[in-house]
Amino acid sequence: MSETIVSMEHISKTFPGVKALDDVKLELHAGEVMALLGENGAGKSTLMKILSGVYTRDSGSMKIFGKEYGDLTPTAAREAGVAIIHQELNMCRHLSVVENMFLGREIKGKVALDNGKMEAEANKYLKELGIQISPRQTVGDLPVSKQQMIEIAKALSVNAKILIMDEPTSALTSREITELFRIIRKLKEQGRGIIYISHRLEELPNIADKVTIMRDGKYITSGNFKDFSMDDIIANMVGREIKEKFPKVHCEVGEKVFEVKNLNAGKMVRNISFSLSRGEIVGFAGLMGAGRTETTRAIFGVDPKENGEIFLNGKKIKITCPLDAIKAGVVLAPEDRKKDGLCTKLSIRQNIALPNLDIICNKAGVINTKKEDAICAQAVNDLSIKTPTIAADVNTLSGGNQQKVVVGKWLVRNSKVVIFDEPTRGIDVGAKVEIYNLMNQLKQKGIAVMFVSSELPEILGIADRVIVMCDGRITGELNPKETTQNDIMKLATMFENKIDSKDQDNEEGK
Amino acid sequence: MRRESEMGAKKKSVFSKLFEIRGMGSVLTAFAGLIVIYIVFGVINTKVFSSQNNLNLLRSMSKYLLIGIGQSFCMITGNIDLSIGSVVGMSAMISATLMSHGMNMYLAILITIICGLVIGVVNGFLVGKFKLPPFIATLGTMFVARGIGYIVNGNHNTDNVASGIGKKAGDAFQNFFYYGKTLGIFNTFWIALVIFIIFFFILSKTRTGRHIYAIGSNVDAARLSGVNVIQTTVKAYLVSAFCAIVVGLILSAQAGMGNMDAGNMYEMYGVAAGVIGGVSPLGGSGLLLGTFAGAGVWQVLENGLNMIGAQVGIQRIVIGVIVVLAVLMDVLLRNGTKVTKSDKK
Repeated sequence: MSETIVSMEHISKTFPGVKALDDVKLELHAGEVMALLGENGAGKSTLMKILSGVYTRDSGSMKIFGKEYGDLTPTAAREAGVAIIHQELNMCRHLSVVENMFLGREIKGKVALDNGKMEAEANKYLKELGIQISPRQTVGDLPVSKQQMIEIAKALSVNAKILIMDEPTSALTSREITELFRIIRKLKEQGRGIIYISHRLEELPNIADKVTIMRDGKYITSGNFKDFSMDDIIANMVGREIKEKFPKVHCEVGEKVFEVKNLNAGKMVRNISFSLSRGEIVGFAGLMGAGRTETTRAIFGVDPKENGEIFLNGKKIKITCPLDAIKAGVVLAPEDRKKDGLCTKLSIRQNIALPNLDIICNKAGVINTKKEDAICAQAVNDLSIKTPTIAADVNTLSGGNQQKVVVGKWLVRNSKVVIFDEPTRGIDVGAKVEIYNLMNQLKQKGIAVMFVSSELPEILGIADRVIVMCDGRITGELNPKETTQNDIMKLATMFENKIDSKDQDNEEGK
Repeated sequence: MRRESEMGAKKKSVFSKLFEIRGMGSVLTAFAGLIVIYIVFGVINTKVFSSQNNLNLLRSMSKYLLIGIGQSFCMITGNIDLSIGSVVGMSAMISATLMSHGMNMYLAILITIICGLVIGVVNGFLVGKFKLPPFIATLGTMFVARGIGYIVNGNHNTDNVASGIGKKAGDAFQNFFYYGKTLGIFNTFWIALVIFIIFFFILSKTRTGRHIYAIGSNVDAARLSGVNVIQTTVKAYLVSAFCAIVVGLILSAQAGMGNMDAGNMYEMYGVAAGVIGGVSPLGGSGLLLGTFAGAGVWQVLENGLNMIGAQVGIQRIVIGVIVVLAVLMDVLLRNGTKVTKSDKK
């Protein structure tokens, strides 16, 4: 067995009023990828913050490379070789790759900074990872996946031996994930240990060697990844067995409710035509950047449309701003809940009430507090949002519950079409099932549901019809019962041939 | 993490319902500070407690309260209005110029209000529709409004308003806005109080108020929730302009004439009143009640320092320190542990 590089035992941590960690242990060996799993709020991040010196533990012992550390500070942790690649990347967007990599430890020449040396150094690590980026590029201009690679390169440049990756794949396309995994394997070969946190269990077989599972601040189990089945892992994470990962309800498909004809809006929405009917969930699959989010935004009136028609119950409607869409009964639960979905500084009540003030207020625009409370209480109840009070700030909720607020604020109204854009991103298995059930309820009520998702298993499991997009166009429509993930991927990578080349024809041809 | 906050909320609910209101903590702190400062000065100089001084306090505080209300509206939307001090001066100049040239008082006030609101609309569109940084947009209108104030009477302060509309009407104007009393308290305070109550109601109980908080918290999410961002931004700037106009009228009534430099720096007094009362300049949070307390703190400090004979320089320093302390305390209380942790880095 290879060298033990991290050994945490009997770690406990109490925050005022709550025991965040209770007798937790974790062991990481050189050259292995340890998947740290658990639902939101299980204590994974707290444990990682202790390892990286952000929090100090109340009790327990922590050894890094066999050396016992008492109160670890972030600086000491860095010197001990611990680096975190955050889910939300901490980069100065306006600075260049080099500037970011050497931020706070710039190499000085005799008078000014030694840019040449820093660039050479940056190039060395980028090359080591096989990343083709010029160190002079501005970080903000690069895609998220590349920014992440730069973070990794930065970690290598400070000689980090223990890399903590928090949801590294949540914003990557499948091609980028493959690239990331290649790099992770390389890091492994170099004898570094990696702690890998992810909610996307399906990607673990490709990367994880070991697994440690936590629940409610407690250590549950750990072992070789191979010895666990997916069901074991889920059962250990949620503490109960989830019978159906993708609960499906069957409904009679009724008349056409919503139709989009020849919608064009910028480069990413080209000639989109589709329809939604009563009693069906229509999945929108595709790679990230396929134009699905842009399509939902154009429909909802967030971004301007160039042309195209939208019909609701056979009648043509005009949507130029979100308010038009909401009034017509077309609503959108957006992809990025922190950016577009929630007013994080406000309470649950204010968030749920916000789009429904027309119902809650009288003609003079004065809020009827009783009505507001009733509506919010009902939404919280219907969606089983876990909170002590509707007056609580939304940013105190876990990701899954925040997502429920994003969805919940639309269910108060009698909407006719509900668009979900990546509703399950970054939330745990239990909450995912709740969101699926919710979509099924809408479907049963006769509401047309448009369901954008990058996770193929859930699209195949939940949707009644799958529309695949690539590069701003619809490239096909499939019946999930008769299709496989490979079929979807084929359609999802059907890029237009910009260069006439036989190879590409073979690879991506029809 | 979630459970932690649940516990926090449970503890709070034991205290009282008052604390459940977001931001009420800083409001109560500001009021407590107000009382402490008042008593401390009163102990040093008992004249502070005299009813004459109390009346004066209420009257002078009204100006800061009004300007604070306007600035708070803008700050809660996540913006700032640097032009309001100039709008104060412009309004004082326009109203006094018109009246000193003999225009009917009511008409003069109406024209003043319209001119001031135009500045508000321009601010609102520059920031809301054209997405100019509010600091820049209102910096521009700040200079423009001050310039208009200079131009209206040909680069001079105005004559006494009574010289144009007669002594009777002139007295009526001055009494209504400044020197007169109703129920034993100066009218200025009643005017400020009525305006405060109206805007307090709008901010806390109406759709417009909710929209103002929403765009201050997250403008993208608000838009996707069907909030008309341009309209709401314009409304906030209209409120700040309106409050500034009223202050302008008060100053012109106080002096009985228009002073070109009236309202200088008032935009910053408005920021201070709001910030002391817990209104976040980053938007999305703050209560108008806090602005009330903030304006009180500000005025009691100024008054008290005057009464104990501190020189103007000392007054400024003390006030500056108080503003920073109020916010620093808020930051430390809210995430004390985090701040010390990251300091260790």
